[in-house]
Formats: sequence, structure tokens, C-alpha cells
Amino acid sequence: MISSVGIYLILPYLGAVLAFVLGKMNEKSAFWIAEIVGAILFGTSIYLFMTYTTPIDIDYTWINYGGIQLPLGIYIDHLSVVMLLIATGLGFADIHFAHDYMGEDPDKPRYYAKVLFFIGGMILLVIAKDLIGAFAGWEFMGLASYLLISFWFKTKSAANAGMQAFLYTRFGDIFILAAIGLLYYFVGNLNMVDLNQMANNGEIDKTVALVTALFIFLGAIGKSGQFPLYPWLMNAMEGPTTVSALIHGATMVNSGIYIVARMFDFYAYTDALFIVANVAALSAFIGATSALVQKEIKKILAYSTMSHLSIAFVGLGVGSLAFGMLHLVNHAIFKALLFLSAGAIIYIAHHTKDAWKLGGLIKKAPYVALFMAMGSLSLAGVPPFSGFFSKDGVIAEAILHGGPFVSIFVTIAGLLSIAYITRLWVLVFMGEPRDEGINGHVHSPGNIFIRLPLGILAFVTLGIALYQTNIVDYIVGHPVEEPHVKGLLVGFLVGMAILFGIVVGLYVKGMNLLQKISQHRFIQIIHQILFNGYYVEAGITYLSKNVIVNGVAKSFRWIDTNLIDWLVNATVPFARGIFKAFRIGHSGKIGDYIGIFAIGVAIIVVAILIIVKGV
Amino acid sequence: MMSVELIFGPMLLAPFVYFISRGAEWVAKWVALTLFIGLLAISVDMYQALPADGGFLFLGEFLRVPGFDFALTLQVDALSVIMLILTAALSILVVFSSWNEKHQGAYFSLLIFFAGPIFGVFMTTNLLWFFIFWELVLVPMLFLVGYWGGERRVYAIIKYFLYAHFGSVFMFIGFFLIYQQTGHWDFMTVKEAMIVTPALIWWFMFVGFAVEMPLFPFHTWLPDAHVEAPGSISVLLAGILLKMGAYGLIRFVIEMMPVESRHFAIYIVIIGLATTLFAGLLAIYEKHIKKIVAYSSISHMGLVAVAIATVSYDGLSAALYEMIGHAIVISPLFIIAGWLHHKTHTWYVDEMGGIMQKAPYVSAIFVLAGMAALGLPGTMGFVGELTIIVSAIKEFGPWIAVIAIGSLIAAGYVIWAVRRALHAEMSPVVAKSHFDMGGFEFMALVIFAFFIILFGVYPQPIFDMANSAFKMFGGM
Repeated sequence: MISSVGIYLILPYLGAVLAFVLGKMNEKSAFWIAEIVGAILFGTSIYLFMTYTTPIDIDYTWINYGGIQLPLGIYIDHLSVVMLLIATGLGFADIHFAHDYMGEDPDKPRYYAKVLFFIGGMILLVIAKDLIGAFAGWEFMGLASYLLISFWFKTKSAANAGMQAFLYTRFGDIFILAAIGLLYYFVGNLNMVDLNQMANNGEIDKTVALVTALFIFLGAIGKSGQFPLYPWLMNAMEGPTTVSALIHGATMVNSGIYIVARMFDFYAYTDALFIVANVAALSAFIGATSALVQKEIKKILAYSTMSHLSIAFVGLGVGSLAFGMLHLVNHAIFKALLFLSAGAIIYIAHHTKDAWKLGGLIKKAPYVALFMAMGSLSLAGVPPFSGFFSKDGVIAEAILHGGPFVSIFVTIAGLLSIAYITRLWVLVFMGEPRDEGINGHVHSPGNIFIRLPLGILAFVTLGIALYQTNIVDYIVGHPVEEPHVKGLLVGFLVGMAILFGIVVGLYVKGMNLLQKISQHRFIQIIHQILFNGYYVEAGITYLSKNVIVNGVAKSFRWIDTNLIDWLVNATVPFARGIFKAFRIGHSGKIGDYIGIFAIGVAIIVVAILIIVKGV
Repeated sequence: MMSVELIFGPMLLAPFVYFISRGAEWVAKWVALTLFIGLLAISVDMYQALPADGGFLFLGEFLRVPGFDFALTLQVDALSVIMLILTAALSILVVFSSWNEKHQGAYFSLLIFFAGPIFGVFMTTNLLWFFIFWELVLVPMLFLVGYWGGERRVYAIIKYFLYAHFGSVFMFIGFFLIYQQTGHWDFMTVKEAMIVTPALIWWFMFVGFAVEMPLFPFHTWLPDAHVEAPGSISVLLAGILLKMGAYGLIRFVIEMMPVESRHFAIYIVIIGLATTLFAGLLAIYEKHIKKIVAYSSISHMGLVAVAIATVSYDGLSAALYEMIGHAIVISPLFIIAGWLHHKTHTWYVDEMGGIMQKAPYVSAIFVLAGMAALGLPGTMGFVGELTIIVSAIKEFGPWIAVIAIGSLIAAGYVIWAVRRALHAEMSPVVAKSHFDMGGFEFMALVIFAFFIILFGVYPQPIFDMANSAFKMFGGM
């Protein structure tokens, strides 16, 4: 058990270095090192899962300075094991998939090194016992995300997207840093397990708990793409699709939910959960509506990721750790499947990301279509796919325990998911090819590195539906009663069927009607607002550019050059002035000299008298 | 144990090296390298010999003049030995990174000369001698910047000189008033004699050291001096000279006048905070790559000031860690910034772009050091920031958590500079430049990168040293 902790802490980084160094010598070895490391990590997680009895609990003092001990402990319980399985399992699948997807890229060693580094960060986050360790893993992922989004840094848009992702998430992260300092000062403990315990016993001041919980949640908002820090997640789609699948779909973006779940009792102790639920419900609505009108395959999926993460947050926010986490697990798997399917489409269509340029691909790639359909059904929440159980559970909990705002918004978001995912699937696979130039070059995907991981993920998406109650029991530690709201299921299914009908009708048969509708002025305005993600990005850009950089920073610059440096430079004319003033004395007239001499002697005498008398 | 030889040896050696190297220029750098390695070994040896109770190790009293309290008293404690080790180690890397500098004989002779007074500053406890060495350090620095510097080097050195003397005058008046109060020049006796210190003395001394650190509003000499200095001299400036200011602040203000320092701590905190945020925002607005790094350097010294202001065992340990961390993190940034100018002949980040395609490894080290500057876990920057935040909140209450904004601002200028200078398409300037770096220069960068990660992941060795330096502040 202990040795597995060693593997988790060392192997990803060692693998990253090896993949880079050996990969520079022989290109192919980079992939195989990454694959082997990924397999070992996944195997370790399975081994932990199989042999799990009691939580692994290791205390370690990282820094001991001047009477202050800063801890860096390890704690692996059921929650961590689930997250480890997701992180390493999906990481392994993603590395495997990248063999073909990144096959022609000349920078493969760099790619695999960064991906392994990312997996290391995710592992560190979920096995950390203390906030410091969690923060370290959190920031490692932030760095990996930045490096991988701007993987193709030669293009300006990718470089900008990476910068944006780093700064948006960093904005949230500094609040976690502040929270660490505050918790150490007020509580004297950074151990997340103890914090939960102390909250349960009511040993923490309520204000402190609320403020620090919200500070940590601000970090989670940044990392998990919630309102208002979500625009980076959409632009992060500039990175390779395999990266989007792993980091911006399935694993890293879950870390915000994970940290709230890890400190769940601490959050439940105050009203922090109420705020979590409301922010998340708003984000769910924004994500779902914006996903309806996007053009790029990956942006549709990105907005849907945002929306579904919010649904998981709402689950936590209304007090149901079980269904929030269940939705996280289900979402991670089907979203990885969807993103990798998107990757397969983009790969076979020669890096065409615009769904409107594709169409009719079902003939060229029937398997991909099938697997993606399974992911879509799960995302939409169609029974008996896994997404149905968790989403239904969260919405029922929201109706039972959340306010009207939360329940209405999350229900709308949940319903709309069938609309946008159906629209995506139909646009890509049904109808006639809309761009012959692209369609003509589409080739079939390979078997081992494209279809196999997709098939396995599709199988897991379907199979995991059977174990929903087991997963809930495993995470929470005791059986959870499924919430029941009268008529919800029926209403939900009917709503989904209607939306499904509308979308299929419009996008398959009614293209002409769709054109007519979209000509309408009012529809166009709404479309613009949704397409631009409610202009939040524009607002933040305006603030940071005009207020921070060209406002505050520029005025500081003015002070620096026109006030401080002016004074410094003024010493030269000042000295010259004194020189001129004294030159009057150098007149050459003996009388003047005698006068000045007398004054000088008088000053010296007075000074000596003062010093002697004074001392 | 060698003591006074360490100070006057290099100062006497320097002219000989200069004359010898007129025939064979390569001699100078090898002599310098050997000297600094020797100094490092002696410093480490000195650390081993320190008394276990955290007090001073007496090395001797020299140049005694009967009737005057003017003897060159040499004694070291953990704080000064750490500074000696840092100085010697950093100087070795400076030698590596200026391996292909022009006019080597004079350059390395000045570097050798520089070792003398700087060791004197850290070794003596006599206020007058401290002042003399402090002034002597300026001499080789002014020549190094003034001769090997850029186009506006004369303006830069005059500005630096004015500033330094402005600070020195305050410091000297402070020392003189102390002498008037106590009748002693030696730190040990002065410290015991001064139970109550007039506020005036405290302020004179504080301003004197604040100029050298530098703290807002005395900071404007630093960007100019750095811009004109060659990359490796920037390392000396940022890595050692600024630390001299911080060392003076700790030794002659905090340790000598702890009661007054606690009384006035809130002013140091506000000035430190202002320095951090002000300089950070200036770095965001700046387009000049070396000025960005210089403002980043100032910004981190603001953090050091906040940590020093706690006047506590843990806060001072954190300050010492951050001083070392700052030296190791900022040095590669300065070296690379200077190198980029040397290769592209432009200073401005928006004229660069796409450098990572041409010089991937150097760029990667720049990114790594930048990440350390913005406080990414796993690097030295994070440990310094974390410990300072924890200690400062402990001492001054929760409001000081606003200091975390500093690391957001740092993220802003680092990432934006990387985006403009290293990422994106190659600019015409970059496309026609030729990026090559000598083996020794690159090796110096790799060593810096190695230590950034090593002490970022495993910081305890440095904190062990820091803890022993500030034992007298702890209740342990």
C-alpha cells in the first residue's frame, strides 16, 4: 500500500523526464514510455481499489521553520480511490489514443512529458491530505494545462488561449493561497480531514469557515470553469483534442468539484453550500444555452462540460455529496468518450473543427458514430445510460432541497443537454456532406489506437450504469436513498422527447425552416449573445486591459517617471544652483573673503560649543 | 581559520591578476573561478564551525588603534555565513555566465576585487568598518556597469551612485548617532548598551538600508542600473547587492533595535506591500524585457521586507529563505534577458516573438524561472511566498492576506512576457537572429534551474540554516 504512494509521487515525473530525454533520441520511445507509465499508474489504482481496507494516512512535515510546521501529508480514502481510477484510467486511455492523433506531430516527446506531468499533478491533488499538497497538485495541473493548451505555441491563438487559461485559473488560485494563510492563523490546521471533523464538532468560527470556504470555492470556480471565470475553458479548445479530452473534459476540470467534496462537511457547516449551488445553477444555465448555438465541435462539448460540471456542483450545493460525485464520475467517463470521438472525427477529417463543414460521416466512420451516440445518450440523460441516473438524482435533490432559482435553472440545463448534443451528432453524422473538399479526403480511423479506446469507454459508459448504487455506497460509505419527486421522471422524459424531436426535425429535414428562423432580428440578437458566451469574456478583457493595465499600471508608471525620477534628476540642477550661489563668494574681493571667513569661524565655534555642552 | 585574509586577500590579488592577464587573458577567469570555489569551501567550513547555541563565532580583532574603538572585529553567525555561502556560490555561477565576456582581464580582476569588501560587509560587526566595506563594494560595481554596460550606462551609474550615497548618508548619520548614544562602534556592545533607541536613529538606519534593498519609493535606480548592466552583473546586483540591504536591515535594524522595530513594523509592512504591488504593476505595463525582470526583482524584495517586518523567528526565517530564493530565481531571468538582447539587439518584447522555436532549451529555463517568480509549487518561489504569507498573517492579522495579489500580478507579467517574447510566430527580428549560447553560460543556467526545483521540493535544508540564524527570536 505504501509503495503505491511512492509510485504515485515519483513515477509520473520520472516518466515525464524519461519520455522527453529518450524521446529526443528515438521518437517512438516517447509514446511507449508514456504508455507503460500510464499503464503502471492505472494498474496501481486498480490494485489499491481491490486491496482497499482502511484509508492510507501518512503525516509528513514538509517545512519546519521558526516554530511553524507546514504539513504535506497523504490521505487516500474511497473518494481518492475513485478519483485516482478516473485520473489514471482516462489518462491511460488518452495516451493510448494519442498514438495516432499526435502521430504526425514532430514534438511528441514534449507532448508525452507534459501529459505525464499533468497526470502527476492530478494524482497529487487527490491523494493530498493537507491543503498545501492539494494546492501543489492544483497548480501543477494549472501549469500542465497552460503548457498543453499552448502546445502549438507557434500559432498566436494557441499561445493566447494558454495565457488566458493560466491567468483566469490563477485569479482563483490566489484565493486558495490566502485561505491557507487564514486557516493556519485562525484554526491552526491545514488538514482537510481534520477540518471536516472540526466543522462537525462546531470548533471553527462560523465567519472564518464561511470566508475560507468561499475563497477555496473561488479557486474551484476558476479551475472548473464556473461563472464568471469560464471563458478560458472554451478557448482552451485550441490545444490538441486529446488534451481537451483529458484535461478540459474529464479530469482537471473536476478538481474544483473534488476539493468541495473533500471538504464537504466544512462547506456544509456554513452557508457556503448555498452559494455554491446558486453559482453552479447559473453556470449550468449559461453553459447549456451557449452550447446550443456553437459551431465548433469542441466548443459545443466545452460548454456542455461547463454545464455538466455545474450540475455536479449543484448536487454538492444542495447537500447531496453522493449524487454530485456520482455525476462527476459518470460525466468524466462519457465526456472523455465524447471528446475522443470528436478527436477521431477531427483526425479523420484532417483537423476540421467546424461541425457545419462536416455531415454525413456515418458512412465513413460508423463505429465512431455508434460510440459517440452512446456517449451522447449518456450525456443527454437517456435511460438506461449512466448519465440518466446521476442527472436525475441531482435534479430531484435540487427540487427537494434547493431554492426555486437553483431547481429551475438546473432543470432547464439538464433538459437542454439533449438538444445540443443531438444537434452536434446530427450535424456531424447525418444528412449530406456540406463541404465536398473536406469530405473527399476523409479516411477511416485505425483500429487499435482509435476505435479500441473509444469502444472500451463506450462499454464502460454503458456498463457503469449497472453499478450506480454501488458507486454511491462506495464514495459515501453507506447506502443513499434515491430522492423521489412525483412526476419528475415522466415530465423529464417527455421534455427530452419533445426537444429531441425539434432538433432532429430542424437539423435533418427542416434546414429551410431553420434558415428562415435564423433570419429573424430578435433570434439573431439572442444567437449573438449565446454564441459569445454572454459576453463575459469581453467584459473581463475590458476590465483587465483598460482598468488594470492602462489605468492603474499606467498611472503608477506616471508616478515613477514624473514624480520619483523627476526628483532624482532634479538633484543635478539643484546642485548646480547651489554651486552658483556659492560662486558669489568667489568674487576675488578680499573683503568678501574675510566676511565669509568670519561667518564660518562663528558657525564652527557655535557648533563646538553646542556639542561640548550637549555631551 | 582564515578571516581577515578573506577580505584583503582578494583586494590585493586583483591588481596582480590584472597585470598578469594582460599577457594571457584566460588566466583571469580561472583565477576568479578558483578563488570563488575556495571561498565557498571556506564559508561552508565556517558554517560547520558555528557554535551550536546560535551565537557568534569570533574570528579575531585586527587593526586595533589604541584609544579608538575602531578595531576590525570579525565575527560571524549563521545569518552572515549563509550570506557568505550565497555570495561565493553565486559568484561561481557569475564567472560561468560571463565566460566569454570581452576585456576579460579587467572584468575578472574587478570581480575578484569585489569579493573582498562584500565578505567584509558580511563578516565585520564594527559599524564603521561595515560602512567602509559597504562603500567599497560600490567601486567595482560602478566600473563593471560603467565599462561593460549599455548605451546609457553613465546615466545609470550616476543615478545608482546618487541613490547609494543618499542611503549611505542616512545610514552613516544613524551609525554616528548610535556612537554618540553609546560610545561604541561594535555591534555586540552597542546592542547591549541600547535599551531605548530614539525613533530618529531607527528611521535613519531604515531609510539607509531601504534604498539598497530597494523599497518604494527609493527603487528607481534599480531598473536603470539593471538595464545597462551586462546580464551577469545583474546577477551580482540582484543576487548579492540587494541582499546586502536586506542583511543590513535584519542585522542593524531588527536585531539591534528589536523593540523599536516591533513598534514601527507596520510602516515596514506598508512600504513592503506597496513595493510588491507597485513594482508588480509596473512590470505588467513594461515592454522592456530586462525592466520587467528588474521590477519583478523589486516586487520580491517587497515580500522580503514584509517578512522582515514580522520581527519573529518564523518571519525572519521565511525572509532569509526568500532572499536566497530570489537570488536563485531572478538570476537566470536576468542572464537570459541580457542574452536575448545580445542576440536580437532589441529590448522590447513586442519586437521579439517565437524565440522558443529557435532556442527551446533556454526558453524553457526562462519559463521555469518565471514560474518560480510567480510562485508555482515545486519551485523556490512558492515556498518563500507560502511561508511569508503564513508568518505575516500570524503577526499582523488576516488583512495581510492581500499580499497574495502579488502572485497574481506576477503571473500577469511573467505569462504575458512569455507570450510576447517566446511564443507565437517568429518576428522578423527573431527570424534573422542567430541564437547560440556558450557551454559554460548554459551550464550556469542549468545549475540555477536545478536548485530552483531542488530547494522548491525539499526546502528544509535552507530552513534548518535559517532557523539556526534566528534562534534568539524564538521561544523554542
